[in-house]
Amino acid sequence: MRAVDGVDIEVAPGEIYAFLGPNGAGKTTTVRVLTTLLRPTGGSARVAGHDVVAEAAEVRRSIGVALQEAALDPLMTGRELIRLQATLHGLPRRTGVERGEALLRRVGLEQAADRRVGTYSGGMRRRLDLASALVHEPEVLFLDEPTTGLDPVSRKDIWEEVSALNAEGTTVFLTTQYLEEADRLANRVGIIDAGRIVAEGTPASLKAEVGRPHLELGLADGRAEDAERVLAGLGRPLPPKEGKVLVEVAGGASDVAKVVRALDEAGIVVESLDLMEPTLDDVFVAKTGYHIEGDEEETGEHEVAAET
Amino acid sequence: MNARVVAALGGRSVRQTFRRPQLMAPIIVFPTLLLAIQTGGAGRAVDLPGFPQVDGFLDFMLAGAMIQATLLAGNSGGIALAVDIEMGFTDRLLAAPISRFALVLGRLAGTAALGAVAALWFIALGLVFGASIHEGVPGAIAIVILVSLTAVAFGGIGSAIALRTGSASIVQGLFPLVFVILFLSSAFFPANLMLDPAATVAEYNPLSFITEGVRELVISTLTAEAFWKAAASLCGIGLLSLGLSNLALRRRLRTGG
Amino acid sequence: MEAATTHVERHFDLRSSLEMLRALVRRAANELLRVPGAAIPGVLAPTIFFLGLTAVFGSLTLLPGFTTDKYQSFIIPVSLMQGAGFTGAATGVNLARDIELGWFDRLIASPAPRPVLLAGMVLSASLRALIPATVLLTVGFALGVAWPGLPGLLLAIFLVMAMGTTAACWGVMLALRFRSQSAAPLMQAGMFVLILFTTAYAPQELLQPWLGDIASANPVTHVVEAARQGFTTGGLSWAETWPGLVAIIGLLALFGALALRGMRRISY
Repeated sequence: MRAVDGVDIEVAPGEIYAFLGPNGAGKTTTVRVLTTLLRPTGGSARVAGHDVVAEAAEVRRSIGVALQEAALDPLMTGRELIRLQATLHGLPRRTGVERGEALLRRVGLEQAADRRVGTYSGGMRRRLDLASALVHEPEVLFLDEPTTGLDPVSRKDIWEEVSALNAEGTTVFLTTQYLEEADRLANRVGIIDAGRIVAEGTPASLKAEVGRPHLELGLADGRAEDAERVLAGLGRPLPPKEGKVLVEVAGGASDVAKVVRALDEAGIVVESLDLMEPTLDDVFVAKTGYHIEGDEEETGEHEVAAET
Repeated sequence: MNARVVAALGGRSVRQTFRRPQLMAPIIVFPTLLLAIQTGGAGRAVDLPGFPQVDGFLDFMLAGAMIQATLLAGNSGGIALAVDIEMGFTDRLLAAPISRFALVLGRLAGTAALGAVAALWFIALGLVFGASIHEGVPGAIAIVILVSLTAVAFGGIGSAIALRTGSASIVQGLFPLVFVILFLSSAFFPANLMLDPAATVAEYNPLSFITEGVRELVISTLTAEAFWKAAASLCGIGLLSLGLSNLALRRRLRTGG
Repeated sequence: MEAATTHVERHFDLRSSLEMLRALVRRAANELLRVPGAAIPGVLAPTIFFLGLTAVFGSLTLLPGFTTDKYQSFIIPVSLMQGAGFTGAATGVNLARDIELGWFDRLIASPAPRPVLLAGMVLSASLRALIPATVLLTVGFALGVAWPGLPGLLLAIFLVMAMGTTAACWGVMLALRFRSQSAAPLMQAGMFVLILFTTAYAPQELLQPWLGDIASANPVTHVVEAARQGFTTGGLSWAETWPGLVAIIGLLALFGALALRGMRRISY
């Protein structure tokens, strides 16, 4: 049985690339191949300029790995784990200690560093895992579902940290099942399903493929035709829905202000206004026929609160 | 660099064992209790015709207690390695630029250290309760080295099983086997005074040779013959167990783990 | 402050208690069947020790003072008790695991009275203790252990079941106290000490003085001797039997009370 078949990707140095897909899509398998934990049965892969099979040791020297089910020993303390990781990467003792302390501070674990990992919360474990992946300053960072199971605050912390690392020059390859994560963090997204890439590109370009944002306007009685006339110059009119006027706005949120001003000048009162944008899930549905996150009922667009 | 890695992993193994009572108890607590009961209960055996010349039954039994502790340390180490595999800690090691076999050697370094701890514990215990090491301090050092090497040799078997099965409960379920091997050796009693067919097995069991080596250091002088028998047994078992560990490791890496 | 406005009626309903009991015993049995591999070491260990000790220490019977010339007959009651002890300790370990997993919370949130819950857990141990005992007796008889006579056998079996229950109470007490599987060695060591610091390996006169003193004070010595008489003498005498019965019932009452107190402290 092939877990992954036909994955052909290239990640540029310095970018954040996200592998987005439902559970069982083959994300973890791909990461395990790229991090030399799994031998590919066909095809080839190069990470940081080295072949994962023939030059495995060089690959291991260049990568930092924080996998799903953080591989932490509950009986070790955070400090012990980071120091062990430094030793595993051959860092001289003093360097390892210094870097370890700096990283513990960076991820906010210096207070908890001497407590056993078994006492850490989920968010703390992920932060420790992330810190330990960085101790040898890798070129490429692999994160397998880095925020699965975390509360929103912890999730934000991780996102900030990943962005900061990328700003410092680290290439990041991450897998996720969360749209927002891919959308927010990634320079480019590869959408994977059943072992194949079904779409690839920047989040914006992918979403543009399946549709443009549109505004749903609820107007005071009887002004629908007037509104349509006013809006004709601003965007493509769409068939009305449930008494609301729909207009496609290519610029998304930035066009909302124009629309509101135009309607205001025409004296038309707007009772409700919703900006609907396509999401990466819409991209997924367009390519595969089902949703990434299984609990959605609607086929499509999600509401995004408009900021006027 | 790899020696440093092995030492670091060994240090972790030792710390793990001290931090988890279920891993430590079989190495110190149970062998000590068994030693107490056996010396207290069977102590009059020294009166049996054919029993080797000893200052006391305790002197005779110390070697067996050390060897028992060491074998159980190997079993504990195997359990801990299986737990590492189950919780994915081994991924951390495999993704690092270290040799694959460091996984096994690190674990065995820890087991060797625990063997040394056990040896020192029973030497101290023996001295407190009236036994004496015939060969003195050099004898004690030799005992510690011999017991540590035994820990490595037998620990390799525990590691091999852990790597092959990846299951802590399977490795744990094998601890009765440790006792089977001990009962079929001269660990607890002179082979010539045991009942057949166990007695015959005990006379040729390599574990008997190893135990006799340690025992002679306690109760008399180490003869050349005993030394060679013990050394050959250790080498044989060591090579076998390390070879099996290597095979099990390769298989696990091949099939993805 | 006024007394609580909700008043929970608690009365002893025999039928529902027995049903709960049956359900709990059945769950324990299911566990055994679900992971038979895990149970095998516990089932075989006492027999392995029996065989090993006989082979290793069998020559002790040559010493004057031994009441029998077959060491296997002498030591089988000890192995029987060990089997019961292991089984009981395992009950404690399983409970500790259930506590760690959170399953136990569900159990104590149920309306089952605490004594019924406790009884369910420990009585299943008394039945499970019969499994290693059966293996042991089969192997023992095949190896020449003397037939203890029917009364002797029944007494031994009764003592095995009682010991299993007592050991289970000990294990449960520790599990409730420590709420962690790391207490397992304590559960096992406790039973080890209780059963083996007796006339386990040799008759009283042949024990080293320090062990002889402990054995005289240890109530389980009486239990071992009571179980032993059938195998070594072929018959029972009341003088050898009643101390064993008193001892095991006393221990059961003691550990049972401690276990129940432990349960009541966790939940009312």
